[in-house]
Amino acid sequence: MRRDIFQAIADPTRRAIIALIAVQAMTPNAIEKHFETTRQAVSKHLRILTECELVRQEQKGREIYYSLEIEKMKEIDSWLEQYRKIWETQFAQLDALLAELKQAQKEERKK
Amino acid sequence: MKPAEVSTPSDREVLVKRSFDAPVNLVWQAYTDPALMRRWLTAMPGWSMPVCEMATHVGGKYRWRWRDNESGQEFGFTGEMLEVALHSKIVHTQIYDPGDGDFGSMGDEPTIITVTFNETNGITNVATSIKYASKEDRDAAMSTGMTEGMEMSYKQLDGVLAG
Repeated sequence: MRRDIFQAIADPTRRAIIALIAVQAMTPNAIEKHFETTRQAVSKHLRILTECELVRQEQKGREIYYSLEIEKMKEIDSWLEQYRKIWETQFAQLDALLAELKQAQKEERKK
Repeated sequence: MKPAEVSTPSDREVLVKRSFDAPVNLVWQAYTDPALMRRWLTAMPGWSMPVCEMATHVGGKYRWRWRDNESGQEFGFTGEMLEVALHSKIVHTQIYDPGDGDFGSMGDEPTIITVTFNETNGITNVATSIKYASKEDRDAAMSTGMTEGMEMSYKQLDGVLAG
């Protein structure tokens, strides 16, 4: 099953996992210690992130380490960022318009 | 005001949240009065909004159309008001109207837009939920948005370089 990448990064626990392993590769055990959730829940989140190719697994000795696919994250980030920019450009114009309307209302009341 | 927050609560949805330093009656006015809408909905430099018709009653139709003044390319949105609660909520359908330009397709099923307004201490929080008919529609819309955003940045860069 192909996972939805935006849904994957919308979940707060998964975002926290991403933030953790962005700093350094970690084992599931080490990741789990940062959350008040079950081992199964953490491994489910890791599976979803892996399926979206946002994280990568690496076998080191007996342990599996999870690390972040930085390039993939950057891609998504710039995608959302562009989308946000369009809205923000409009909203900045709305800010200016609202300031004007507020001023007009104030002057209206003075009369 | 803090910049807009964009999130994807489900695989068919995009949620945009933003706060405005104005009471809800003014924000509502800016969202529903065509003369005021034109002032802020034309965000892209070099673009105008030749058509801005707005209905604020259930069953009413609206029509928005933008035009690139240079190339004459147009695109727009049309739809119907499903729910209107003064100063609190607007729900409407949205159908993409590609005009003459090549802006990509967003599918035939309408997108459902829900805008909620909430005022606290003179600050109005506006949440816009955009629910696409499918995940494919949403991804297509977001990538279209990205192209337009890039186009916009390039145009601004052009301006800087020309100056």
